[in-house]
Amino acid sequence: MADQEKRALMCPDNVHQGLKLGPIFYVVKAEQIDAFARGTSSTNPLFTKDHIAPPTMRLQDYALLIATHFYGGSGGVHAKHWNEFHAPMRAGQTVKTEGRITRTERKRGKFYFELEYETRDASTDELLVRQAITSVLLVEGKIA
Amino acid sequence: MSELVSKPFLLDADAAKAYEAGVEGPPRRTPRVNIHTDDAAARKAGFRAPIAGGEQTYAVMANFIVDSFGLDFLRGGRLEAALVKPVFYGDTLTMHARAIEHGDRRLQLEVWAENQLGERVLIGTARVPKQIA
Repeated sequence: MADQEKRALMCPDNVHQGLKLGPIFYVVKAEQIDAFARGTSSTNPLFTKDHIAPPTMRLQDYALLIATHFYGGSGGVHAKHWNEFHAPMRAGQTVKTEGRITRTERKRGKFYFELEYETRDASTDELLVRQAITSVLLVEGKIA
Repeated sequence: MSELVSKPFLLDADAAKAYEAGVEGPPRRTPRVNIHTDDAAARKAGFRAPIAGGEQTYAVMANFIVDSFGLDFLRGGRLEAALVKPVFYGDTLTMHARAIEHGDRRLQLEVWAENQLGERVLIGTARVPKQIA
């Protein structure tokens, strides 16, 4: 509960265009690459032997970024994605991900937001991937 | 370039569980029980089976492009897609790609994922740097 009090409720009134989320830092793990490859039935040696991260392995960083700022409002329909790939992400690499709400829209009684986020090598600042999700925000199981 | 088609991918409960093990989300105080994880919740919402998270279909598509065009897709490539129909546990998916534009420096693809009924569940575009296309 104390943790929740430091963060804002994830609801349309609190999600604004321009809001920055993160950064978060993590080390890319070979174990996660292996597990992700299994979860997508991939046997591509780039992933399984060279331990290069599959392209969308860190797509869910949006959820970690949201959790740095918000609580609650769980659920959502992630209807659209885009990714721009700039350099491979590799096991052992320490990376930094940060994001920004780039668009909000109420349409036909639903609240949509786009979160754009990018991941860079934490040491060199090299851009690795820039990506975005468009989501419908759900609050307490109902479409906001 | 003719149409590229992936091997079939069975997206069942085991595949969904394996995928969940490969992603990192925020810690949860209680296990998720919703239309993505629970048969009863899915049926209560009017679906015939749990709906697979769209990100898994998107991930299989992205991997398919790497399988088809190699590592350099991760050096200047782009993928954009919309999830247009639900994927139910037990569905078998195939990924498809077809060139729609040959630019000087890049290849533009139409991409889509089909279920076993031939219905498109994901539609989008991808860009592949020309030096590898």
